Amino acid sequence: MPVVEIDPEELKTLAGAEDKPDEELKSDLFALGLEFEGRTDNGAFELEFAPDRLDRLSVEGIARSLRYQYGHDRGVYLPSVNDAEWAIEVDESVPDERPYVTGAVVRGVDLDESRLESIIQLQEKLHATMGRERAKGAIGVHDLAMLKGRSASDAGAEGADEPGTDPTGDAPPTSMSTPATSDDPTNGPEKTITYRGVAPDGDRFVPLDDDADRTPAEVLETHPTGDTYGDLVSGFERYPAIYDDIGLFSFPPVINGKRTEVDEGSRDLLIEMTGTDQWTIDRMLAIVCYALDARGGQLEALEVRYGDRTLPRPDLSTETKRLAHEHVETTLGIDLPGADVVDLLERAGLDADATNDPDTEPSQHDASGPDIERVPRRAASPDTAPSDPDDGSGSTDESGLVYEVEIPPYRVDVLHPMDLVDDIGRAYGFNDLDPRYPDVSTVGGRTEASRLEDAARDALVGLGFEDLLNFHLTDETALFERMSLSPDDDALGARTPPRITEPYSEAYTAVRTWALPSLLSVLENNTHRAYPQDLAEIGLVAGVDDDEPTGVAEHRSVAAVVARTDASYEDAKARLSAVARTFGVELETPPTEHPSFVSGRTAAVVLDGAPVGVIGEVHPRVLVEHDLEVPVSAFEFRLEGLGDR
Amino acid sequence: MRLPETQLALLEAASATEARTIARLAERLGEDPASLTRAAFELEDRGLLAVEERAAETRSLTAEGERYREVGLPERRLRAAALEAGGADEPVEMGRLIGEADLEGEVDIALSNLARKGYGDIDGGAVSAAPDPETDPDADPEAEALDSIAGDADAEADVESAVLDRLVSRGLLERSETTVRSVTLTEAGVTALMEGIEAAETVGAITPELLTSGEWDAVEFAEYNVEADAETTHGGKEHILRRTANRVKDVLVGMGFEEMSGPHADADFWINDCLFMPQDHPARTHWDRFALEVAPMADLPPDLVERVADAHRNGVGEDGDGYHSPWDEDFARAVALRGHTTSLSMRYLSGQAVGELEPPQRYFSVEKVYRNDTLDPTHLLEFFQIEGWVMAESLSVRDLMGTFTEFYEQFGITDLEFKPHYNPYTEPSFELFGRHPETGDLIEIGNSGLFREEVLSPLGVECDVMAWGLALERLLMLMYGFEDIRDVHGTLCDLELLRNVEVVY
Repeated sequence: MPVVEIDPEELKTLAGAEDKPDEELKSDLFALGLEFEGRTDNGAFELEFAPDRLDRLSVEGIARSLRYQYGHDRGVYLPSVNDAEWAIEVDESVPDERPYVTGAVVRGVDLDESRLESIIQLQEKLHATMGRERAKGAIGVHDLAMLKGRSASDAGAEGADEPGTDPTGDAPPTSMSTPATSDDPTNGPEKTITYRGVAPDGDRFVPLDDDADRTPAEVLETHPTGDTYGDLVSGFERYPAIYDDIGLFSFPPVINGKRTEVDEGSRDLLIEMTGTDQWTIDRMLAIVCYALDARGGQLEALEVRYGDRTLPRPDLSTETKRLAHEHVETTLGIDLPGADVVDLLERAGLDADATNDPDTEPSQHDASGPDIERVPRRAASPDTAPSDPDDGSGSTDESGLVYEVEIPPYRVDVLHPMDLVDDIGRAYGFNDLDPRYPDVSTVGGRTEASRLEDAARDALVGLGFEDLLNFHLTDETALFERMSLSPDDDALGARTPPRITEPYSEAYTAVRTWALPSLLSVLENNTHRAYPQDLAEIGLVAGVDDDEPTGVAEHRSVAAVVARTDASYEDAKARLSAVARTFGVELETPPTEHPSFVSGRTAAVVLDGAPVGVIGEVHPRVLVEHDLEVPVSAFEFRLEGLGDR
Repeated sequence: MRLPETQLALLEAASATEARTIARLAERLGEDPASLTRAAFELEDRGLLAVEERAAETRSLTAEGERYREVGLPERRLRAAALEAGGADEPVEMGRLIGEADLEGEVDIALSNLARKGYGDIDGGAVSAAPDPETDPDADPEAEALDSIAGDADAEADVESAVLDRLVSRGLLERSETTVRSVTLTEAGVTALMEGIEAAETVGAITPELLTSGEWDAVEFAEYNVEADAETTHGGKEHILRRTANRVKDVLVGMGFEEMSGPHADADFWINDCLFMPQDHPARTHWDRFALEVAPMADLPPDLVERVADAHRNGVGEDGDGYHSPWDEDFARAVALRGHTTSLSMRYLSGQAVGELEPPQRYFSVEKVYRNDTLDPTHLLEFFQIEGWVMAESLSVRDLMGTFTEFYEQFGITDLEFKPHYNPYTEPSFELFGRHPETGDLIEIGNSGLFREEVLSPLGVECDVMAWGLALERLLMLMYGFEDIRDVHGTLCDLELLRNVEVVY
C-alpha cells in the first residue's frame, strides 16, 4: 500500500488544529484509514493508506479531510477558476496510443522547499496509483513564465511543415485534421501550446537533470528516467511531445524539459497531463488543483482543443448520485433520522438534498437498474426493519426517502451509492456501532475430501510419521534431475509441471508434480538431526493437462519416507499396508520400475485394483545427491485411492 | 522358603532379642539403607520381622565443620600462632599471623571467636594472647564436640546443647529430625531361619517364561536407576500449522460454516474479474501474479462473463459507474495460481460450484494461496488463507462485527477495532485489529467487508454477503510466538522444532 510522508506541523496548520498533540493526530488519521508507520529522519509522519482516497496523497488533501472531521468545513467546496488565457491544441500527429491531454494554469503560488517537495510527492504518488506508473496518466508541472504561447491566429499557418509530423495522414478521429480555430478566436485564449507527435530522432531539447540537448530517442538511451519509463513509448511510431512557440518543452510520460523546470521562485504554473483515458487524467488534475488551491494558488482555466471538440479544463464539476435512506439503515444496522444522514454526508464533504417524491417509492424502481431495484427486496432484520405502518413511528416516513448527493470532483472512489453509505458510516464512527451476532441459522460441515485427508493424516501420525507441510512450488531440478527422473518417463512424478511464467526466484518456478522430492529436501536439510526420521506429507501435486478446464490437473498426494540406518523396503511396505487396512482397501504391490528407486525393490501401489502410486527403496544415486548417509524407503500415492470409489 | 538376597541377609543379621537399627545393619551388610528399609517392610509383610519406628535427631558436620575438625578451629590456630610469635608478652601484627596460622579467608572468624572465648585481645591490628584464658584452649568444648559428632550419625554422643546451638549458628553443624527404624526377628522369623531359607536370584527383564512359570513371585527385580535419562524418542505429530488450520475449521464449523474447495490454478476471471478488480490494478501485474504457462481457460459461463465485463465497464445500477480501465476477455481467461481463495467464494456464489444458493448460507475455506513476492521471515510465496462469508437477506456492518467478535474470541483475541479500509470488492471494508493475547499490542488480524453490488449483481446474488480473510500463519505466529515462519512451513523447516514444539489446543 502507498506511503505518504507528511510534516505533522504543516498538517496541523492546514487543518486548523495547531495545538493538537501528535498522539491525538495519529488517532484522528487512523480513523480516516491512514495508518502511522513511523517517522522519517526529519520528523515527518510516514502514513500508509489504502489507495481509494487518492485526494489524500498530499498534506493538503489530508488536511481537507481532517477539517471535515473536526467540523471546520462542511459540504462540497468548489475552488474559483479564472477565465482561460492559455489553450492546448491537440495536433493530428499525436500518437494514437496516448491521445488524451488535459491541463490547468495556477497563478500566485508561494513555493518554499517543503511545498515544492509536497507537490513533487503528490505528483509521484498519483503516478504510482491512478496513473498506473505513468502508463495511464502522467503529470507535467512547468514554470509558466518560461513558456511562450503562440497566438491562436498564428498557429494554423505552421501545421504543414512542423518537424516530425507523420505525413501518412492516418490520424485518430479525435485529433485535428486542420489546426483548431475556435469559432470566435478573439474571445478564446490568446496563447496556445501544442500536444503532438515527434519522430524519435526529431527535435532536440534539454531534459531535466541533464545539460545537453537530446532527441527523444537519445533521452530513452542516456537518461535514467528514460531508462525507467522508456518502455511506455518505445513501441510508438511517434513519441508524445508538447511544444510552445520556442519548441519542445515536455516529453510525456518520460520527462520534462529543463527550460520550464519549477523552482522556489516559480509563481505561475502550467500543469499538463497526458494519458490513455480522458477521465483519469481529468480526475488527477482535479486532485492537483484542489491541493494547489489549498495553498493559496489561483486556478485559471485552460482550453483543450481536439479536432472535433473543445474542452474547458480543469473539469471541477460535481456528480450526483441518488441514495435510498433504507440502504443506509440496512447497511449500518441502525435507525437514523433523515436529518442526521444529511448532516453526516455534509461532514463527509458532500452535499445532500432529501427528496420523498412518489417516484422514488421502492416499488416504482424495478425498471431503473439492479441496485435500486434490489434494495427494497431485502427483508430487514428485526433490529433494522422499518416500523410497521401501524405504529406510526418516524422511520415510516423515511422509508421512501432518497438523497440526491453531490460529489466533488476529487472523489474518484465513488462508483456507486454504497460508497456514500461508507462515508456516512465513517462520519458516524463505525466503532460506535454495537456488534450483534447475525440472527440466521445454518449448518456447518467439512468437505468429504478434507475429512478423508484428515483421516489419512491421523493414520500416518499413528504409525509414527512426522506430518510435514511443504511448499507446492519448487523448481524442476528438484522434481526431476535430483530424483534421477525425466519428465518424459512413464513413472509417478514424471509429467509436465505447471510453470510460473515470470518467477521471482529460481527456487520456485513450478508446481510440484509429486511430493517425495519435498520430503527428500527436508531430509537433506536435517541430516544434523536425530534419526530415525520418518516423515510424511499429504499435499497438492499437479501437472499440465489439456483435458482439465483450467489446463492443470490437481491431486492430493500421500508421500512418506522412512530414513534410518536399517531402513528397507519392508519398513515402507509394513506401514503402507497398515494405512490400507485402516481404510479397508486391498493393497497389491506388483513389481515395477521407477528411476528414483532401486530396481528389483520397487513396486506399484495398487489399491482396490487401481494403480495409484509407487513404493520402494530410494536409489543410492538419489540419496547421495541429497547428501544422505542413511538408506531411505518410501512410498507415494494418490489420496483418492483410500476413498470410496 | 526362598527369599530375595537382600531380605535373606537382613533376616540373618536381625536379632530376636535386640532391636537393631536399619542404619547399623546397612553399614554392617554393606547395603543401601533405602533398599534395606524396603526389604524390612517386605519381611514385615511376610510376618518374619517386626519394624519399629521412632523419631530421632541426626547430626552431621558441614564441609566447613569437617575441615575445622581436621585443621583446628581458626581461633585456636590463631592463638597458637600468636603464642609462637611471642604474643603472650607483646601484641603481634595480625599480618604476620595470617600466613602462620593458615587463616586465608578465615581472619574475621578467627578474630571474633578469639575474643569471644577470651583466648586473646585484638587492638589496632595486633593480637596478644591472653596468658590466662577463661577456658582452657586445649580443652575447647566446641573442638571436642566436632570430634565426638563426627561418625556419630545416630546422635548418641552426649554433647551440651548450648555447644550444639553454637556450632549450628557457626554453620559447622546440621541437625535434623529423622525416623529411625529398628527391626527385631519375630517368632515366625526365627522358625523360618531355623528351617532354612534359600536366596532367590535377582532378575533383569521380566520375561514371558518368568510370568508363566510363576517364578516371578520368588525373584528379586534388579534395581534400575529410574532417574536416568531414557533414549530420546519421537512419536509422529500432526504439523502445527495443520493443527491450527483444523482448530480454525472446528471453530467455523461450530459457527455454522460449511467448507468450500476448488482449484488452486484458476482463470483470472474467478480470481480477480469477478471480484471487480480492475484489470490494470497494480496487484494484477505480472509482478504480483503467479501466471502459469498453460492454455487460457475456455470454459467460462458466457452470461456471467458478459455481466462481469459490463460491471467493469459501466458499473451496476442507474447511478453506478464503471472503471475507466480497459477490460479484456483474453486477460480474464489467463490461468494463474490463485492469489486468494476468494476465487472459491466467487465460484460458490455464482452457483457454479454447488448450484444456486438460497440465503442464508455460511461458507469457509482454509486453503493455500500464492503471492509472487520475496521470501522473508514473515512472508511466504504460498500460505494458508482463512476465508469466510455469510449470505443472508439483510446483513449490516453490525452483523459483520458480531461475527468476527465471536470468531476471534475463540482464539483469545478481544477488543476488536474496525479500521475503515478500502478493497475494490467490498464496501464498507474494514481492517480488523485486535489485542495480542500476550503482549496486549494492537495487531492487524484480518480484512473484511460487505461485497459490492458490482460483485454480487453479476453473480446473480440478490441478497447481502459479508466476507473476510486472514492469513492462517498470522494466527499461528500469534498463538505460538514464532518469529520466522520458514522454520515451520516448507522444506527449510527444522525437524527438531517441529518435533519438540509445544502443542497449543
